[in-house]
Amino acid sequence: MTDFSHIVQFFFSGLTSGSMYALIAVSLVIVYKVSLLICFAQGEFFVIGALAMVTLVSKGLPMPLAFVLSILISTVLGALVQRMLIKPIQNAGIGNLIVMTIAISLTLRGAALLVWGKESHILKPFSSGAPIPVLGATLQPQVLWIISITIVVLIMIWIFFEKTKLGIAMRACAENRLGASLMGISTDKAALLAWAWGSGIGALAGMAVAPLLFMQYGSGVMPMVKGFIAVSIGGLSSIVGSVVAGLLLGTVEAYTIGLISSKFSDTIVFSLLMVVLIFKPSGLFGKG
Amino acid sequence: MKLLKQFWWILPLAFIAFYPVTLAGGSPYWSGLLIFVGIYVILTVGLDLLMGYTGQISVGHAAYFAIGAYASGILTAKYGFSPLGAMVIGMVLTGIVAWALGRPVLALKEYYLAMATLAFNEIVVTLIIGLEWLTGGASGLRDIPSFSIFGLVLSNHVHYYYFVWAIVIIVIACSLAVVRSPFGRTLVAIHSDEVAARAFGVDTAKYKTRIFVLASVFASMAGSLFTHYMGFLAPDDFGVLTSINILVMLFLGGIGTIFGPILGAFFMKLLPELTYQIHDYELLLSGLILIIVLVFMPKGLFGIFTAIWEKMFAKADK
Repeated sequence: MTDFSHIVQFFFSGLTSGSMYALIAVSLVIVYKVSLLICFAQGEFFVIGALAMVTLVSKGLPMPLAFVLSILISTVLGALVQRMLIKPIQNAGIGNLIVMTIAISLTLRGAALLVWGKESHILKPFSSGAPIPVLGATLQPQVLWIISITIVVLIMIWIFFEKTKLGIAMRACAENRLGASLMGISTDKAALLAWAWGSGIGALAGMAVAPLLFMQYGSGVMPMVKGFIAVSIGGLSSIVGSVVAGLLLGTVEAYTIGLISSKFSDTIVFSLLMVVLIFKPSGLFGKG
Repeated sequence: MKLLKQFWWILPLAFIAFYPVTLAGGSPYWSGLLIFVGIYVILTVGLDLLMGYTGQISVGHAAYFAIGAYASGILTAKYGFSPLGAMVIGMVLTGIVAWALGRPVLALKEYYLAMATLAFNEIVVTLIIGLEWLTGGASGLRDIPSFSIFGLVLSNHVHYYYFVWAIVIIVIACSLAVVRSPFGRTLVAIHSDEVAARAFGVDTAKYKTRIFVLASVFASMAGSLFTHYMGFLAPDDFGVLTSINILVMLFLGGIGTIFGPILGAFFMKLLPELTYQIHDYELLLSGLILIIVLVFMPKGLFGIFTAIWEKMFAKADK
């Protein structure tokens, strides 16, 4: 029998994975908005951020410092990847670019395997504290961290893209590359920044959920795919749409696992994606 | 030199024909390796038709490999079908699935297409894992009999070797015939400019679906061969990683060349053998190889071969 406390519990786990998907989706959208490119390596930044933090914390660094350093590492890595690997072939056609991001994903995953091995690593929670009982279900304190991080990131992105000159310039690149470059905006720099932002946010998602998941070099594949599903449902260039879709996806998934079938939850989620792609390719919230 | 230029294809053919008895010296290990190369050549050539010639990206080619493999495995191991019959049923089934998917999925572009193909791959794998009563689930499907044609049983690796490579040659011949036909030229037209092709009255959806069906049927065939050679199936061999592996083989060998996939499959299957002591490096290496190919050699290994070839003959012709 499924009683009310289960329903609440499923909602919490949906909210947790939903926030994770939403963050990854946002990181994908930021890169896409500026450079019209979906990075299949986003899941690797997710893993590298989390595992870097695990290592730094185990080396005795205080949590907040390890947190900031791990974000920095992933941000720099993302910028390097854009400069060294994406820029040289940016005119080679979209097919080659897609395959390039797959190549980057394989390389980073391979590097993570060499650095951290095949074992799973777990991060200690950001704050100690007993699980909080809510309506008969329990809420891990880390879930509150995940949700607050997601909210803070979204506010930061909104301020950046709406209120700062740099953010508006980057949005201009997304609207019209040539026009933007004629106005003296460096599209190169904008793409670099977008990648840095994107990989930083991807890493942040990984670090936030690392205390709840066992992280291992290959753990980034599924979150990346789920993030992309959220983006496809939400519309490639809509940050709000992808956040809503990410949360929705997490919730639907949690209830499918809990109430219908854990075996076929991925089958259902992927079928859902195909249905959305086929009938509404621009996403449920996308324009045109 | 002139003779070499005209009859160069005899060399690789001779290599294929005499390999198990000469270089491999009857070793099951080395013949086995080339059997896998052959199976992957079939997969990669199919993907080349779809991606290299028609420009339709697929990150889920292993799905059709899986359907063929499991159709053959289930029908022969559980229902006593003859391997040849099961293989044909697998091909028909895969063809129908690809045909039904083709029109809606191939209407998508770029990322959406990449993601839809990936999603289909995941759907197939999760179904294989989930439908345990049929497929054996994650623990695998056992007791698959050897392949046999009209009472002739393929009982050892040498038999399989010749059978697989005979099919490889048929697949390559078919693919060459396709790309050199008006049909193939239409595919190239769709690749370079789909809107223009449509403006010229080409029913692009029809052409894309047809080549998709052909590529999928090839993959299904490869799956049946894989099944009977292995005698055992597990879902791990058919995931998105396998699809990406096929993609790496295609780009490494040379996309849009038909012959390139042979080089790509050969290299990528040999790589784990060369690095078996340092197995953990495999993922990193295949990523780096793909990056190098994309940045420095857009035509892949085949492009390098043809460049050397042309230089050789440019000197000889003087």
